[in-house]
Formats: sequence, structure tokens, C-alpha cells
Amino acid sequence: MQLTVDNLSKNYRGGVKALQNVQLSLKPGVLGLLGPNGAGKSTLMRILATITEASSGRVLWNDKDIARNPDALRRVLGYLPQDFGVYPNLSAIEFLDYLAAVKGIPAAAARQRISELLALVNLADAAKRPLGGYSGGMRQRVGIAQALLNDPQLLIVDEPTAGLDPEERVRFRNLLSELAGERIVILSTHIVSDVEAVATDIAILARGQLLAHGAPEALLSQVAGKIWEVVVPSAELPALRQKHLVSNTTHRSDGVHARVVAGSAPSAEARQLEPSLEDAYLAALATERNSVAIAGAAA
Amino acid sequence: MNAPRAIFAIARADFLERVRRYSFLLTLLFAVFLGYSAASGRITLLLGDYRGVYTSAWIGALVAMVTTCFVSLVGFYIVKNAIDRDRQTGVGQILAATPLSKISYALGKFLSNLAVLSSMVVVLAVAAVAMQFFAAEDPHLDTVALLAPFLVIALPAMALIAALALLFETLPLLRGGLGNVAWFFVWSILGIGLPELTGKHWLDPMGLMTVADSMIEGAKANIPGYKDSFSLTIANAPAKIVDTFRWQGVPWTSQMILLRVGWMFAAVVIVLLAAMFFDRFDPVSWFSPSARKSKKVSMVSAAEQLAAGGAASGNPTVVVHLTPLASAARSNAFGRIFAAERRLALKGLHWWWYCVAAGLLIAQFASPLEISRGPLLGVAWIWPVMVWSAMGSRESRFGTRSLLFSCANILPRQLLASFLAGLMVAALSGAGAGVRLLLARSFAGLFAWAAGALFLPALALALGTLSGTGKPFEGLLTAIWYVGPMNHTPGLDFTGAASGPHTISYALIYLALTAALLVSAYAIRFRQLRSV
Repeated sequence: MQLTVDNLSKNYRGGVKALQNVQLSLKPGVLGLLGPNGAGKSTLMRILATITEASSGRVLWNDKDIARNPDALRRVLGYLPQDFGVYPNLSAIEFLDYLAAVKGIPAAAARQRISELLALVNLADAAKRPLGGYSGGMRQRVGIAQALLNDPQLLIVDEPTAGLDPEERVRFRNLLSELAGERIVILSTHIVSDVEAVATDIAILARGQLLAHGAPEALLSQVAGKIWEVVVPSAELPALRQKHLVSNTTHRSDGVHARVVAGSAPSAEARQLEPSLEDAYLAALATERNSVAIAGAAA
Repeated sequence: MNAPRAIFAIARADFLERVRRYSFLLTLLFAVFLGYSAASGRITLLLGDYRGVYTSAWIGALVAMVTTCFVSLVGFYIVKNAIDRDRQTGVGQILAATPLSKISYALGKFLSNLAVLSSMVVVLAVAAVAMQFFAAEDPHLDTVALLAPFLVIALPAMALIAALALLFETLPLLRGGLGNVAWFFVWSILGIGLPELTGKHWLDPMGLMTVADSMIEGAKANIPGYKDSFSLTIANAPAKIVDTFRWQGVPWTSQMILLRVGWMFAAVVIVLLAAMFFDRFDPVSWFSPSARKSKKVSMVSAAEQLAAGGAASGNPTVVVHLTPLASAARSNAFGRIFAAERRLALKGLHWWWYCVAAGLLIAQFASPLEISRGPLLGVAWIWPVMVWSAMGSRESRFGTRSLLFSCANILPRQLLASFLAGLMVAALSGAGAGVRLLLARSFAGLFAWAAGALFLPALALALGTLSGTGKPFEGLLTAIWYVGPMNHTPGLDFTGAASGPHTISYALIYLALTAALLVSAYAIRFRQLRSV
């Protein structure tokens, strides 16, 4: 089971480059796809889900080009888009049964699967209510259930925890971990803690380009020895931000405890800390921004 | 809050959002087509066998009447989405949380509607100037005589249409498909019915009688033996005439102009009425379509959420019990997807809908054959208009395209299943007439019946897939139904009852159209599949 993204680019009208020469190779596990808003994550997700065509490059599912044979992937694909709708007059059971029929799942198998999925996403009690009366979080859970209907080998979830309460968010992260063993899961989000909790592999996208791809340990090692805690008075915080990348701040009685990413100790009193994935992510984005600014100045 | 600024901002944003969509280009193309039809003589004003010389006055009046007639019908469907767009995009929720008053909002949307309709009027006015140039029957261009009918007749009519579209959007009963069907009849009454029915020619919202009366007076003075005949005809070729006469144009009196200004005020009153009914995007407001239901549902949902939260509290650990699906358990069984589409098509219909459908079916069995296959079948085939109009557009309307289009073999299975579900509705609702034709061994009639049953869902599917909304089908079917089955126009009567000796020929044309529509729907969906 392998998904290969080969030199993928997508250009929109008006010269907007949503993706530029993205290269990825994925095996079973959870890929956490991180990136700021507008990085191209959803475009990449839609191309992988076969509903948008790439401008150039290929996506191979088990060495087969999905642009030429999309149904080969669709048969084993579970997709939760960032924005999706439901038919408000149908109940969750009826809606899932409709999608099961569209996905070609026989009635008996679908009934059992739907019942299990509704229990899994904590909607068994509301299963017969019209979806029009569901809250945003409940609808999102129906979306999660539909993505798992066909027991997918490739599960693509785009901002899946949007609208979920903290408890449901943790449940969903745990669910993804449980499911990841025998399939490829692509989790696109800008919430670093979601990725930190479940990802076996991480990719960072910014301005349509792949900035980094590797195991969480590899990303963390890039900022090892570069994370510091500095305590400064509130008034000095803006100056500190101007000089260094500050990834977090906490106000305490002795001043502001700032978490700083820097190649060397920002002050004599600075205390070295263990790096987190958020530090690594912010550092990667800052490096990219600096290189764009330098390129812009040179031009 | 500065109300005029807010009204202008609402109107401007709404207008810009509309004109930057491709559909606006189609709107203008429709106006260009109308202008071309008038200029090429395919739309003609005839008084008996005469028409006016193509002077500025005649051309201005002709094109302004064409504008008022056709743009008022089609334009309503074009602009009846100002509030709905804010509802669908969620912008309405943002606006509702601002100090913006309902009246300011309604006036802003009304002005945007009017601006869109006026842009069509402007295109047609330009076409009128071009028409005089190309017709070359009178070299003298009198801009006042040419443009006055647009200002005095067409613009107030457009204001009324803009206001009524807004009112329809604020009334829950008329907001959806029922309003789209009802508009055709409202339009018929507003256009010519009101002055005809009441005998009061001043009660003429569209202003058509004002022009017609003046033309009739001119004809009486110039055409010997003329007897009040007046018609606006549409034909494939320019109409045949005996001769022309010179008409001097409407002698615009201050009373006439005040009357037209009065209709503009009436439009503003309708907007204020719309503001009163506007629910301000509150899903549980009194005016909301399912207010009571929503309140009930939201209470239940809250209770369920509490219960669900309670059940899960403290233990977000997931124990996954999912039975793996064997690869053999995946099938492309078409019956499943057909059953699902059929259920989806009929879901949400009220019990009384089925009662009326059953009543019509029984009546088809019980009535004489000519009534059964004629008016009764006609009514039975307009009754499911809302079921059909959702075909092809449901995925766009409810935002399920991404979910469906990422499924394997979706095309043509889902499209075909949707069509067959629609065909089943046509066959069942018209089964009485079908069986009667079979028993009477009227095989030509039965062939026409089958062609009609195939044509209706095919038309719905193609228009729904193309437009992403049910409005074009609802409007078009109502118009064809009124002209065809209800007024026995051969060729447009899709039941086949009015086709006479040409029953087979017309049925074959309907079958060819059905095939073309299905191929179009397939092609459009094929394109959509790769561009969500």
C-alpha cells in the first residue's frame, strides 16, 4: 500500500500557484499535514481525493496514476472534506445508508457498519433524528462516520476536529491512532497539538511548497538546542519579539516567560528547553518567510 | 448607523457579487438574444395584418414591451436569490449581528435586484438603437421617443419585479419551488390579466396596456376597417404583413407618468412589506419555514448532546469495534443506489402531497379518456415539480458534492439512478392515463405518454446539473405546462393529447430531446467531477 505524490503542481486562474512541485511518498501510518491558512493543504487534499485535477505532476496509488484511473483509488478512499453538507430531511442512518449505496456497499454489510460507526462517533442516540436539527459538532461526526463507511485504505481528513468539543476532539484523535495501523491516514490541520498526538509522519506546507517532510523526531532534531526560556518584563516583550522568534508566552508574577527559538542563548539568564513540535513548525515557517523576504529584497 | 450608507453598501456588494459570476454573463446574453429577436423581426407587434413603420417611437415601444414582457418573467427567477445567497454563504449570520435594520437590508437588496434587471433593460435599449439603424425604414433618430418607453414603462415594471422577488424570498411558503411555480401565474395576471379582468386600464402594473391603447388609437386612424386586434408574436421567421402605418408614439401625459411613478412607490411599499416578513436569518423566527419543527429539534438536540456528553464524559478513549468489510462485500449493485435515490427524492414530502397525487391518479382512471390523458395527466405531471426540480441540483444545494464525487463509479450510476427515480415518479403519477391508453389500444397515445414521462425527469436532471438549482426547471416547466397541456398547443403539450395526427412525430422529437438532455447532464456532471 503506497501513495506517491510526484512533482505535483496546481495553478488557479489569475496565476495563483496553490501547489508547487510537491513530492511525497506515503506508507501506512498517519501523515500530519501542517501549514498556515492558504498554504495549499485543502487543494492537495482535493487532488488526492480525486475531485480536483492537478495542473502538472502525478499522484500514484500503488503505482497507478489516479488521474487516469480515479476509481481504483475511490474504491478504497474515505474522504472528509473541510466543508461539506448533509441532506437535512434525512436521519444519520438514512444519510449514511445513502452514501453506502453510492459507495457500493451491500445493504446487510452497510447496516452493520453504520450501526458500529454511529456508536463509534457517539451518535447512536441521535441516529434517527433529521440531520437538519444536528449541531455543527454532531454533523462533523456524521462526516467522520461517512469517511469510514467503506473501510478505507486511504483516509483523508481535512480539518476534521473543527467544531468538535475538546472531549470529542480527543476521542477522534484516539480513533485515528487506532485506525492508522493498517491504512494510510492523511490528517490536514493547522492545530499542531492534533498532529503531535497522532502523526507518525509530518509534512509542512507553506505557499504551496513542501517545507519539510519526515518523522516527528527528525523535525524536532532540527530545533534541538535552539529552544530557550527567557524571563523579561512585559515592556521588553515587543523588543524580544523583534529580535527572535517567540513561540509562546506566559505571564507570571516575575515577568513574562517567553519561549524563544534561537541558534544561541538570547541572554545570559536564558534556560534551554526541550523542543516541541510547535517550535519546529514555527521555526520552519519563519525560515521560509525569511528566505522569501531575502529573495524579494534581492529582486 | 448611517442608513443610506448601509443601504448603498448592501446594494453595491450584492450587485458586485452577482455581476462577477458567469451566470450574469448568461443574463446579459439572454437580453442580447431578446434584442436580436426583436431586431430581426422574429418578435413582432401586429395590429391586424399591419405593423408600424420602424420609427424611433415604434422601435422604442416594441423593444420596451418585449423587455417588460420577457425580462419580467425570466428576470424574477434571476434575481430571486438575494437573501438566499446570504443564507447559504453564512454572510446573513454576520449581518444579523450588526445594527443593520431589516428595512435597510431589504432596500439594499431591492436596489441590487433593480440594478441587475436595469442592466438588462440598458442592453435592450442599446439593441433598440441598433435596430433602427439596421431596419433603415426611418433615418431620423428621435432619442426621446426611442428611450421614453424604457424609462416610463420598463423601469417601473422592473422595480415591481425586484420588489416582488424580495417579497417572495421573505415569505416561507413562496421562498422555494412553490414560489417559482406561482410566479408564472402572478406574472400572467400582472402582465395583461389585471387590466383585462378589472376592465380598468389604469390598473396596469407592467404598463403594456398604456402602449397598446395608444397603438390601437393610431391603427384606428390609419388602417381602414381595423378592429382592435393587437398581438405580440414570436415566430421562427419574420411575420407576414399587409402594410405598415406610421405611429407617432405614446403622447406622454403627466397623468400617465404619475401613474408609472405610483407603481414605483408600490414597489417600495412591497419592499417594506418584505422587510416586515424578513426573518433576519433567525432559523427559529415566527416567519421561518420550519420554526416550530426547528425549536422542537433544537431542544431535542440539546438534550441529546447533554446525554451524549454524559455518556462519554471522563473517558474519551475509543474502543474501535469495526467489522472489516471484505473486498467481496463491495459491489456495484445498481438496485441499491436506485432505491437510495428514490428514497431521497421522496423524503420530506407531506402526507397531503401523496393524497393529492393519489386523487389525481384515481381521477385518471375514473374520467373519460380524453380528460384523463389531457388536463388530468397535465395536472398530474406538474404536481411532482418539486420532486423533479431537486434532481441534479441537490448535491450543489446541500453541499454534498465532495462526498459523492469522491466515490467510485459515481458516473453514470448516481445520475442514472436519479433519472430513473424521477421517471418512476412520472410513470406512477401518470399511470392512470397510461393504463387507459393501453386498454383503449391507443398505441400512438401511449408512445407519446412514455415520451413525456421520459422527457420531464431528463429536462429536470439536465437543468439541475447545469444550474445547480431547481429554479430554471420550475420556471420552464410551469411555462411549458401552461402553454402546452393547459392551452393545447401542439408540440409544447408534453402529454401528447394536443398533438393530433402528429402524435408520433412529436413523441419522437421528445425522445430525441430526452436523449440530448441526458447526454448533456452526463457531460456536465463529468466536468463537475474533476472541478469541485
